[in-house]
Amino acid sequence: MKASSIVKDILNVIKSEFKTLFKDRGVVIMLVLAPLAYPVLYCSLYRSETLIDVPVAAVDCSRSKESRELLRHIDATQNIQIVSRYSTLTEAKQAYYEKKVHGVVYIPADFSKKLQSGDQTTVSIYADISSFMYYRIINQACNNCVMALNQQVQVERLNANGITGESAAIISNPIPYEGITLYNEGAGFASFLMPAILIIILFQTLFLGIGMIAGTSRGENRFHVLVSSAVHRGGTFRVIIGKSTCYFLLYAAWSFFILMLIPRAFNLPHIGIPFDILMLLIPFLLASIFFSMTVSVFLPHRETGMVIFMFMSLILVFLSGVSWPQSNINGFWKAFAWIFPSTSGVQAYIKINTLGADLHHITFEYMSLWVQTAIYFATTCWAYYWQINKTKNNLLKQSEV
Amino acid sequence: MFNNLYTAIKQTLTRELKRMTSRPIYFISTIVIMTFSYVFFLTFFNEGQPNKMPVGVVDLDNSSVSRQFIRNLEVMQHSHIVMRLNSHKEAREEMQRGNIYAFVEISRNFAKEAVSNRRPPITFYINDGYLIAGSLISKDITYLSMVTSIGMQQKVLRAKGVEESRIMGILQPVVLDTHLIGNPWANYGTYLLNVILPGVLQLMVLMMTVFPIGVEYKERTSKEWLANSGNSMFAALTGKLLPYTVIFTTLGIIGNLLLYKYMHYPLNSGIGWMFLATFLLVLASQTIGIVFIGITPVLRDGVTFAGLYGMLGVTFAGSTFPIEQMPAGSRIFSEFFPIHHYFNIYVNQALNGVGIHYSLLSFVALLSFTVLPLIVFNRLKKAAINQNFPIK
Repeated sequence: MKASSIVKDILNVIKSEFKTLFKDRGVVIMLVLAPLAYPVLYCSLYRSETLIDVPVAAVDCSRSKESRELLRHIDATQNIQIVSRYSTLTEAKQAYYEKKVHGVVYIPADFSKKLQSGDQTTVSIYADISSFMYYRIINQACNNCVMALNQQVQVERLNANGITGESAAIISNPIPYEGITLYNEGAGFASFLMPAILIIILFQTLFLGIGMIAGTSRGENRFHVLVSSAVHRGGTFRVIIGKSTCYFLLYAAWSFFILMLIPRAFNLPHIGIPFDILMLLIPFLLASIFFSMTVSVFLPHRETGMVIFMFMSLILVFLSGVSWPQSNINGFWKAFAWIFPSTSGVQAYIKINTLGADLHHITFEYMSLWVQTAIYFATTCWAYYWQINKTKNNLLKQSEV
Repeated sequence: MFNNLYTAIKQTLTRELKRMTSRPIYFISTIVIMTFSYVFFLTFFNEGQPNKMPVGVVDLDNSSVSRQFIRNLEVMQHSHIVMRLNSHKEAREEMQRGNIYAFVEISRNFAKEAVSNRRPPITFYINDGYLIAGSLISKDITYLSMVTSIGMQQKVLRAKGVEESRIMGILQPVVLDTHLIGNPWANYGTYLLNVILPGVLQLMVLMMTVFPIGVEYKERTSKEWLANSGNSMFAALTGKLLPYTVIFTTLGIIGNLLLYKYMHYPLNSGIGWMFLATFLLVLASQTIGIVFIGITPVLRDGVTFAGLYGMLGVTFAGSTFPIEQMPAGSRIFSEFFPIHHYFNIYVNQALNGVGIHYSLLSFVALLSFTVLPLIVFNRLKKAAINQNFPIK
């Protein structure tokens, strides 16, 4: 009898929570529209992964067969394209300042002469660094072309010095270095950043949505408290279990969409075992939900959370340790980062999804999320208990009057 | 007429200042959040570039040659050897755990094969799942490999009796000399904070435009607000938003001073232009905020849209990923974000230090945002009087 009434109460809370959720336009935008639209939007914006045919200017003072060939090779790369030629560096700079080009390749007048005489010569590149992507792409493409040219010239010069055949090959490349890029072979921008963004989107929409719901009930309630007595009928526990189940069910669906379908649809890395991602999701969502529920108790109005915490999305991206590596975050901010379930969530998801790690490789993040679940569950209970007591006291006072 | 307007604005201003002290959200969303962001980002990126990142070594040869290579790697700027591993599998797993961002593998009999000219390979594995760590370490290792090769080649060529003055010409006929325009140290903080801090600023300006206006509609005080300013929507908005213009411009200028004077990030123009750009960024963001709350004078919707738009602004500034490489249409879309024009001014003035006429269009664009509220003036006024919008 008792147990069945508890279950009934919980089901009632779930039902009423789903109702409030879908009746409220603001909450629908935050908990339904945003988690569905944002991942698609961001993935579309970053879809090209790398830069293609970045416009670059050439200043060829050598005007020789060799310089033309080098420029042809640079132009032929996928990443950059020589769109204009100038006779002086000043002119090329002008084009750069007018944003017609993002880089300049400068070949000095004595380039071919020095190549023929066996001396060392220099090719200069000037790269736009307003975005790191420009610099990286331009530098890389030119570097590859120059290295190829070097190899060719080297063999010719060795031959000229009477060193030929296999021994020339040995000298030109005594230790073959093999660089193998793992997990993000194309060095793609979206493949690197999007997995982190996906987790942050899940966390932030959940956090802001729950804050909005809680703020609303506090704002609308006669006593400015979170849970109206009609719903909870005295059971703190039942309210918490009911509400969190509602959020969990909703976000389990979104997580499937965001963490499983989006990477496949947009060709982001997805070499993780789905079962491991599922196992990770449980503590991640629970920790996020209880964290949000705890904080939400202190939001007096429905808009407060949005106004105050929206900017945290940016902070959370950096705290997650994906762009600026976690190993180089100082102790204080590392500890601060740990407070937010998104940090462990991002790291664990990237390790499973992008690096193909198993659950036992991410013990630290996994345990952290469960510890957070326990801590934030306790704080939620305390905060709700406090709120529910406040209702009771208010009711009591009122009946005395 | 002008006297009237002046009194109306003054009255609204006094009223707003009183409201601002009534709830903590006003203080938190202006001074507290901006101060926190400054402290956070400046201490977070104070290293400039991530140095000494963890790297692993699988040295199956353990000879003097391989140990020398590892010692050389140790002194590189971005790499720090934190572990020696016994097998490829072990190293890969450490990488998957995120404990190392790269590892170098030196095969068994490496030294022996090198001496007998069989050219044994050195293989390095880079984790580009963490792109920034990966590419910096990769740069280190590539450079080191090149230097090591050249060292060995020099020895051989000398032994073969090649003239000393010709050796470098043979080994490295063409040297590539890379210049980074405006940010020669490739400082990560310079590159990011010049976008992120204005990004936070415009987000908070948007929020603190939509909120103080929207809350009047929500709490049904909009009629009183308008009456207090002599029924002039212009006076009502000006008086209300003026305090935020002052506060956020001051905070923004403090941000400029922190970046260019305290951190000494590149500033190749007068700092005055950046002050002006910051002021216009605040102004333009405020007018966009008015439009958001004007379209639906409902606080919750206004705040939601302002938030989602503000977050997109950071992407559309065009720094993280160039806009011209985004799908068609993004370019036009980005023009509707004040921070995009602010970023252009920053690149032209602070970074490239070119003549101010290059940025003229961007300044004009920022200014032209300020006429936008005209579209919603009537709607806001009607709604203020009729109070016919949902409050939830």
